[in-house]
Amino acid sequence: MAGTPSNHPSMFKNPVLNWVNDRFPLTALIKTSASEYYAPKNFNFWYYFGSLALLVLVLQIVTGIFLTMNYKPDAAYAFGSVEYIMRDVDYGWLVRYMHSTGASAFFVVVYLHMCRGLMYGSYRKPRELTWIFGMLIYLALMAEAFFGYLLPWGQMSFWGAQVIVNIFSAIPFIGPDLAVWIRGDYAIGDATLNRFFAFHVIALPLVLLGLVVAHLIALHETGSNNPDGVEINEGPKGNRWSKDAPADGIPFHPYYTVKDILGVVVFLMIFTAVVFFMPEMGGYFLEYNNFIPADPLKTPPHIAPVWYFTPYYSILRAVPPLFGSQFPGVIAMGLSVMIFFALPWLDKGAVKSIRYRGTLYKSYFAMFLVCFVVLGYLGVNSTDVWGQFGDWSSFLDTKDRATWVARVCTVGYFAFFFLMPWYTKADKTKPEPARVTMH
Amino acid sequence: MKLRTLLATLALVIAPAVALASGGPEIKYVGVTAERTDIASLQRGARLFVNYCVNCHSAQYMRYNRLKDLNLTEDQIKQNLMFTTDKIGETMKAAINPKDAKEWFGAVPPDLSVMARSYTTEKLAGYLRSFYTDDNRETGWNNLVSPNIGMPHVLNELSGPQKLVETVFTADGKEIKTDHDAEARAKAAFVAANTMAAFEHHSEKKDGKTVNHYVVKTIASAGPGAMTAQQYDAAVADLVNFMDYVAEPHKAKRIQIGIIALFLLGFLLAAAYALKKDYWSDVH
Repeated sequence: MAGTPSNHPSMFKNPVLNWVNDRFPLTALIKTSASEYYAPKNFNFWYYFGSLALLVLVLQIVTGIFLTMNYKPDAAYAFGSVEYIMRDVDYGWLVRYMHSTGASAFFVVVYLHMCRGLMYGSYRKPRELTWIFGMLIYLALMAEAFFGYLLPWGQMSFWGAQVIVNIFSAIPFIGPDLAVWIRGDYAIGDATLNRFFAFHVIALPLVLLGLVVAHLIALHETGSNNPDGVEINEGPKGNRWSKDAPADGIPFHPYYTVKDILGVVVFLMIFTAVVFFMPEMGGYFLEYNNFIPADPLKTPPHIAPVWYFTPYYSILRAVPPLFGSQFPGVIAMGLSVMIFFALPWLDKGAVKSIRYRGTLYKSYFAMFLVCFVVLGYLGVNSTDVWGQFGDWSSFLDTKDRATWVARVCTVGYFAFFFLMPWYTKADKTKPEPARVTMH
Repeated sequence: MKLRTLLATLALVIAPAVALASGGPEIKYVGVTAERTDIASLQRGARLFVNYCVNCHSAQYMRYNRLKDLNLTEDQIKQNLMFTTDKIGETMKAAINPKDAKEWFGAVPPDLSVMARSYTTEKLAGYLRSFYTDDNRETGWNNLVSPNIGMPHVLNELSGPQKLVETVFTADGKEIKTDHDAEARAKAAFVAANTMAAFEHHSEKKDGKTVNHYVVKTIASAGPGAMTAQQYDAAVADLVNFMDYVAEPHKAKRIQIGIIALFLLGFLLAAAYALKKDYWSDVH
């Protein structure tokens, strides 16, 4: 850990604290993780999202506990129990809106947090494990969101789950049996709802909490990266607080705790505005179709996953079937998520931060962001959203313009990763400063 | 923080949220709306709802005693609004037996508890305004917003009979020279319509050529009803306002609390900013 606490146990005036410290390293823990944890002093706007993700996690757990008190995981009662929460439970509507808005907020915050990691090369050596734990959190979060989305038992819950579980049935040989195994039935039904509830309220939250702890332990072992991408631990030593601490480091507490409180308040203002003034967020946070109870006999004309899954869903749809099998699309979608794990080894750049990267990297990064957003946009819409090509295009397998745009973006998305070893090496980087810079 | 990074972040957050949906005919919704805070409007809407809707539809998550929100006493609710039960804590159940309903309409009329949320209030009002007589339908009615729906025009006695007016624009090489011309004229007629209107595009193959038709459909009165057109419009607005209330009874309270919460957070923001500024004044 960065800096061993200098204080010997039993040194405080407060006898209770001494009693605790003799038995549990309370003061030592606070010191190593906050008041004597030295973080680079040049964190900018992008560094708010880690603490915000933790805040949203707590918010989801607390609101989730209260929702569970009145929710009924039973296909016959689930939809009604949600309406009961919305109407008859005191402030149940508030708890439910906080939870539904929190789900989307979690992804907004996590996407921005990941974007920060990409911009400043936070995944690079020596923080590969922090990145991998972070990616595992992201995977667990996706599963958590997917399982949770079935619980209100509306039309989109039902058909969205149907579509996603069917993705597994595209796997050759074992697919159909695997899908039945996941559902616990031949169609999404009561058995599915019960097991998804179990995963959503206990299994995945436990996994998430464990991974968050691992993510933080790994981070505190290496120390935080910063917008300049230079290692403060390798720079000069000695600052106002300690002669052994990095010169460019400041104690996390109180400096970053007060800064993060400011971030929390700004975040809460946006969050509050959504919860109280537009909880449906125009159908993106709470879909209109999900206010219709699940009906296995009525397929909605347009099924779209919730916005945070749509870039990957777009990739799934964009890949043409091979010999009538959608499996290549499934592989591409799986790969598009998993490829993030390989980032620390794909990036061969001489510098970490985008500030000192060359045009080549910046162009690829910009292309990746554009592709990600366009894929996300196309994923919430039907494939004919941008109309069709004219009669001349009869040789194409689909005339939908949007599908072709999605294909181009899919190529762009993967190019960012697969060509990374080449363009990060070929990139004309600027020299990194010896010390962090303050803007 | 640089402005550029802030803008980039905003773009990433907002882009999915401004995405537009598409598909189906383009519908123009015309008509007045009522304020959610207008209690008199909600009361009128409640009366219309129990008189015309609850015969066939339930609102099985809406309790009668919640209507006290609309400044009504329990006695007033019991005497004026409860026809299908005598227990004030009961939810609004349809008068019709679901089995009969299925036989008569082909499907059980959907529950209306959260209809305003799934269907949207705008579409709901448009739907209630755009019934027209259609001899090809079993009920004798069709609808511009939800074509071929099983529901008849229940508010017929109020609005009076209504008919569909269809205007087709097709390039004839003379007066309307090109498809582009036809589309432009149809669009203009659609925009100019001062009633509920739909804009559709059909094309058919004729002698190996594609012929495009641009159709504007509007609703017109076909006889007097108990209300004038304006009165009916206002009645629909009241009814939809009430259905919006039924879909989310706490909406008004939600917005009220939201304003207070934001106001308090504003104070907290000032305090948090001052604290941060003070602590960071010695970091260079």
